[in-house]
This record gives sequence, structure tokens and C-alpha cells, in this order.
Amino acid sequence: MLFSSIPFLFYFLPVTLLVYYLAPEKCKNFILLIASLIFYGWGEPRFVFALLGATILGFLFGLLIGKFEGTKWSLVFLLLSVSSSVGLLLYFKLGTFFPIGVSFYTFQLLSYTIDVYRKEVKPQKNFVILATYVSMFPQLIAGPIVRYQDIEMQLFSRKLHFSNISEGIRRFVLGLGKKVLIANALGELCEIFRASNEKSVAFFWLYAVSFMLHIYFDFSGYSDMAIGLGKMLGFDFLENFNYPYISRSIAEFWRRWHISLGSWFRDYVYIPLGGNRVSKARWIFNIAVVWFLTGFWHGAAWNFIVWGMMFAVLLLLEKLVYGEWLKKSKVFSHAYVLLMVLLSFVIFNATDLREAADYIAAMFGFGAYPLISDEFVFYLKNFGMLLLVGTIGATPLPARLMGWMKGRASLEKGVNLLEISGLLVLFVLVTAYLVDGSFNPFLYFRF
Amino acid sequence: MSEKMKNRILPLVMALFIGGMCLVSVFTPDKEYSNAERRRLAEMPELSVETLMNGSFMKDFESYTMDQFPLRETFRSIKASAELSLFGKKTVNGYYAVEESISKLEYPMNTQMLNNAVNKFDYLYETYLLPENIKPYLVMVPDKNYYLAENNGYLSMDYGELFSYVTEAAPYMKNIKIEDLLSAEDYYLTDTHWRQEKIIDVAERIAEQMGTKLCDSYVENKLKEPFYGVYFYQSALGSSPDELIYLTSDVLDKCIVTYYDYGTPKEGDLYNLKKAAGNDAYEIFLSGSAPIVSIENPEALTSKELIIFRDSFGSSLAPLLVSGYEKITLVDIRYVQSSSVGEFVDFADCDVLFLYSTMLLNNSGALR
Repeated sequence: MLFSSIPFLFYFLPVTLLVYYLAPEKCKNFILLIASLIFYGWGEPRFVFALLGATILGFLFGLLIGKFEGTKWSLVFLLLSVSSSVGLLLYFKLGTFFPIGVSFYTFQLLSYTIDVYRKEVKPQKNFVILATYVSMFPQLIAGPIVRYQDIEMQLFSRKLHFSNISEGIRRFVLGLGKKVLIANALGELCEIFRASNEKSVAFFWLYAVSFMLHIYFDFSGYSDMAIGLGKMLGFDFLENFNYPYISRSIAEFWRRWHISLGSWFRDYVYIPLGGNRVSKARWIFNIAVVWFLTGFWHGAAWNFIVWGMMFAVLLLLEKLVYGEWLKKSKVFSHAYVLLMVLLSFVIFNATDLREAADYIAAMFGFGAYPLISDEFVFYLKNFGMLLLVGTIGATPLPARLMGWMKGRASLEKGVNLLEISGLLVLFVLVTAYLVDGSFNPFLYFRF
Repeated sequence: MSEKMKNRILPLVMALFIGGMCLVSVFTPDKEYSNAERRRLAEMPELSVETLMNGSFMKDFESYTMDQFPLRETFRSIKASAELSLFGKKTVNGYYAVEESISKLEYPMNTQMLNNAVNKFDYLYETYLLPENIKPYLVMVPDKNYYLAENNGYLSMDYGELFSYVTEAAPYMKNIKIEDLLSAEDYYLTDTHWRQEKIIDVAERIAEQMGTKLCDSYVENKLKEPFYGVYFYQSALGSSPDELIYLTSDVLDKCIVTYYDYGTPKEGDLYNLKKAAGNDAYEIFLSGSAPIVSIENPEALTSKELIIFRDSFGSSLAPLLVSGYEKITLVDIRYVQSSSVGEFVDFADCDVLFLYSTMLLNNSGALR
């Protein structure tokens, strides 16, 4: 089920929240589990079995790792757990059908069993609690990757306050607006470009910029919705985005983009491999492994691998060659990050490497395309305002403005009223777009 | 309003809106048909183990909730307004309005569809016309975008290229150009079609090029119902309704109109005024979509017959050609197989006209 759909917003969500709020404390996890399974099974019911199977394995391995703590059997069961999770992921990644969210929930299960082995968390003896954690519908299908240790306490006891619920609604509605009003429209522009027979150099650039904003608003919008829903249910998930496009280096970009994935690879792959406290050759190898896996996590296709390895190369260059130099010029460092990320997403969104190469060549005038076309001019005018809204919205400016207004005692009352009416108007607008529209896929469901 | 108050009011406001819409949606009786979109609305799908397991229930339920959503048309209008005013878009779902005239982008030129149309024409020519040594005429009716799009900064097909493409692909037809006789005002504000009262000169040119003289004078009759055309509802852009005028004359009053639905002849009206209050008032012209219709003119001063292969633009034009012919037969190969036309139509010694809008030529998938 999509968050940005009428069935979710007007049927599933109100019914689930009503039952959840009215239920006694001890029943809340069970209700959340059932709701999550309905949510997941809504699209493809058969994949619920894959989810439950993976969770049962994670649950059993967690218990066995804990039971044989300190013995070699603990490591054996950890390896079996990792193999089964990775095997399941590989099976689906390389296979013909792909259950949505499998990349996210297998990584959550991996982090759980590894943390049990590392004695960072105790094995969960209650299957309902572990299953609730793995299948929790706010973050089940497109993240953020929530670690068991981060919400372990909340799984046992969580307090619902008006302030949390209100903040959750705010985040959810803002995320919904980002997705439905901005990401979908920019996605439509990308589709128009792909179908166009009148491409031009300028149109290739317009496509690249549109996709760069589209993927940010699509994915960060989803994360906002997930975090917001979590708050409405009494959970606090970690942030997944922090204005990545204002970064001044690729290293900084990855500290701001898909934070939960980056930190997962750091903690469960990079550091166990030795991180940077090894020889230079080994360190380069470690970087390469992490970024190969990051690319592969997004899909078993060469464009994703090249996309991941491109970041490995850029990170190494920053560390070894021009990292210090980047710090000297604000303008250049921003332009460098934006250009590299823009090109990386052209590779990311290509159907294959050939298309990626053709698109990038065309952007720099190495294709048989005119500089400008009527279609480019028309679509620039048609989507110009949206691109402007998207560009400003991808920076901290709107949040800073809101913070500034809230910081003024004289404005606070008006701002709060404005916030309520603004969110309601936004929700009504989203409803209008959903009732009218059909272009609504989430990009990160395929990962 | 304090932060504490805001934290209490926001959930309440959202709960009222979402819960309210949910309850209204559940307790409002379902609608079967949307006049606005001219289609049947989705119904509550059947709930069974099979439909649940194969996922069809979920898919159909989503369509059902979208179709039956309360105040659906209001929400569609809100979206259209937001697109235009808030995001400065020039089109909404491909529709645009110039002053009050609504149109839909027809872009780009689709050579595959043009070839498909020409292939159908080739078949009709080789099967029915060539054996009778008939050289047919071709009229390509420019759609509204020809006059509205390019001049107002919207994407526009190269109509010159389209006209040349079709005429070169079907060299056996004599092309009659009419685009210089029309302007945007000759089309309804809210619909795709041309206004019958504005195309008398078009009919005269076609008749003249086919060697026929028209001799009729018309009386304008105005429908009392306002006419909301197909674009009015589809676009949700809003516009004043049109006035629909149809032309009558002594000659037209005496015509005998026969509809060959499913092959069975049935007499009917030239202007079916029962359609005036229906979903599409343009259907008053020859009752809208029909596979084969004949118009016999008992007052004719000639024994010439005309066969028109046509789309809906022909419905309002054909009556204006009646005074030049003893009989006009209209064939719409969207509703009858090209291979079956010979069962109902005798082509011997007839004039033959292909009359199609550029919109249909560029989207010819429905031709059979």
C-alpha cells in the first residue's frame, strides 16, 4: 500500500490509529503487527510469507546466538543468519520477482542478529515484538533502516503525547506534500523527457536536474512520512536526510543522504573490515567493497555498480588528492558536489550503461542533438516554478524561516495558527492531486 | 495560539477532515456513472480469498475509493487551480485554456498512427473504390490546436508536415484544404468539435471541389440547454458553457435519415434532440456515434450520391452537403469493420470523401 493513496490516507490510517490509540498498552504491538502485515500484504499478499519467514529465521538465530554466547556456536549461528539474510536478498535481487522492502527488512534483521552477537542488544524472546520491529509499516518498505537497538526500549514502552502526535502529523503531511506535489510532478517531467523525440542538450540538463530533485523529494518525502508516522505511533526514528544538496564534499553528501544506509554500511561492513586503521591498499579495498555493496544494494545491474563505484573513486580522490583544496572555495565545492551528484543520478536512473554514457555525452554536446528545442522551452516554462520551489525546498531556507518566525514571541501565536491552516491546506491539496492523478510510484520501493 | 494549544488542535483538525471524509465516503451511496468523465465509475470489488490472494481486490478497491471519493469534482478543480496558480503550469493533465477556449495538447505528430490511418484508407480504396474507378477526396479537419497552440506558446505539431505526410502517403486522394476557412472561434469553447453554423463555407468549398453545387439556406436553432463539451469536464479548468446551434432548412426537414446499427436499418432524425439533455449534446448531430447512416434528400435536383468515411466532425458537416446530393451515406470505421462496409454500401457511381480530423489521424488506433 502506498502512503500517498486514498485507501491508506482515508481508510487504513484512521482505522489503524483509532484502534491503536484505544487499545490497552499490552496490545499495541500486536495491533501494530497485524496492521503492518495488512499494509504489506495489500500489494502482493504472497510476499507476506517471505517477510514472516525471514523474521522467524532472524528470531531463531537471535535466540541461538544469545544461548550459545561466548562459544564458537554463537559465530556459527551468526554466519548462518547472515548467510540466510544475504541469500534471501541475493535470491530476490537476481531473481525475476522482487518483494518491495526486502532490502530494508533484511538489513534490519542483519543488524539485529549482528548486534545480538556483539552483545549490544539482548536476544528478543517475544516473537511478536521482534516481528513488530521488522514489519513496522511506517518504515517497512522504503526505510529508513531502523536498527533494533535504536528502538528496543520503545518496543516495550512508549508514551503517546499530543506534542509527538502533532509533530508526527506535521512531518507526515510535509512528506506527503513533498512526494505528491513535487516529486510526482518532476517524475512526470522525467517521463516526458524519456518519451520525447525532440531532445536537445538543454533538455538533457533539464532532465538531469529534474531527476536529481525528483529522487530527493521522493525519497526524503517518504522518510519524512515514515518518521512522522513513527511519532504518531510513539516511536522516534533517526533522521534519514539532512539537506544533502548543500554539501561541500561527497563525503559530506553521504553523511546527509540516506543516512541510515550509509551508517549501516559503515558499522556493519566498513569498520569490521578495518575501516581506515589499516594499510593504504587495504583501506582502498575497504572503500571499494563498501561502495560496490552500496551500488549492488540498489540493484543487480551494472549502472548501480558503476554508480556506487563512482562514489568510491570520488571519496578516495577527496581523501588523497583534492579534499583540502575543496575546503578553500565555497562556490566551487558546492558546484562540484552538485555536478557529481547530478551525473551520478543520470547513471543511477539509466536503463543500462550504454544509455548512461549516451545521456552524459549528450549533456556535454557529444551527441547529435541541437542545443535547444521547442520542447525544452515549453517544459522549462511549464515546470519552471516547480523546479524553483523544489530547489529552494531542498535547502534549509524554509526551515530556517519557520524557525526564525517561531523564535519571535510576537509572531509565535500567528505562526502556530498559520502552521495548522497551512498543513490542512497542504493535505487538501494532496487529496485533490490523489483523487485526480494516477502518476504515483515511489522510487525506493524497487530497492 | 500557544504551542500546547497547537499540539492539541492540529490532530483534532486532521482527524475531523480525514475521519469526516472517510465517513462521508462510507455512508454516501455509490454513483454508477460520472457525467463529467462520461464513464462508468468503479464499484466496490468482490471480496473473496481468490481476489485477495491475486491482489485484484486491492487494485480494484483503490480505483473504487478514487472514483467514489466525496466531492471528487471539487477536488479535481482544486488540483487544476493549484497547478495553474500555485505552480504556474501552462497545462493541467495536458489541457490548457486560451481565454475561455479549452483544448488538449496534440503533440507530437505520431507517424505510426498516421501510417495506420493511411493503411486503412488504402484498404478501403483498393477494396471498394479502385474496382469502381473512383478517385476519392480527402479533407483533413485541423483540430483546435492548429489555431490555438503555437500562437499562445503551447507545443504544436507541425501541421504542414502532417498534411503533407498523409497526402503523399495516399496519392490517390484529391486533397481539399479547408484550414484557411476556419479559426479558433469556429470551434466550441468547451469541446473538440467545430460549430455547425460556422462551417457553411467549409461545406461549400468541399462541394465545389467535388463538382457539386449547394443550394440551401438555413435557419439557426439554439438549444435551450447550455452545452458543456467534453473538455469542460475532462480538464476541470472551468469555462462558460457554449451555445449549441443547429441548422435547419426546408430541404433538411424533408430528409429521410436511416441508421444501420448492427446492420438493421432504422429510421431516425437528422438532429436527435433527445441527446440535448444527455452527456454529450454534440450527439444531437446524427445521434452521435453510429457505424453507418444514410441521409436521403427527396428534394434533390441531382441523382448524385456521396459516401463519406468520417469521424464525429462529419456529423455536423454532412447535413450541409445534403442539398447537393440525392443521398449521402456516412461510414464510421471506428464502429464497423472496413471489411464489412461493402455489405451495406454500394459504391458504384458515387462521390467518395474521406473526412477526418487531424486529432483522429494522429490517434487512429480506433479505426477498424
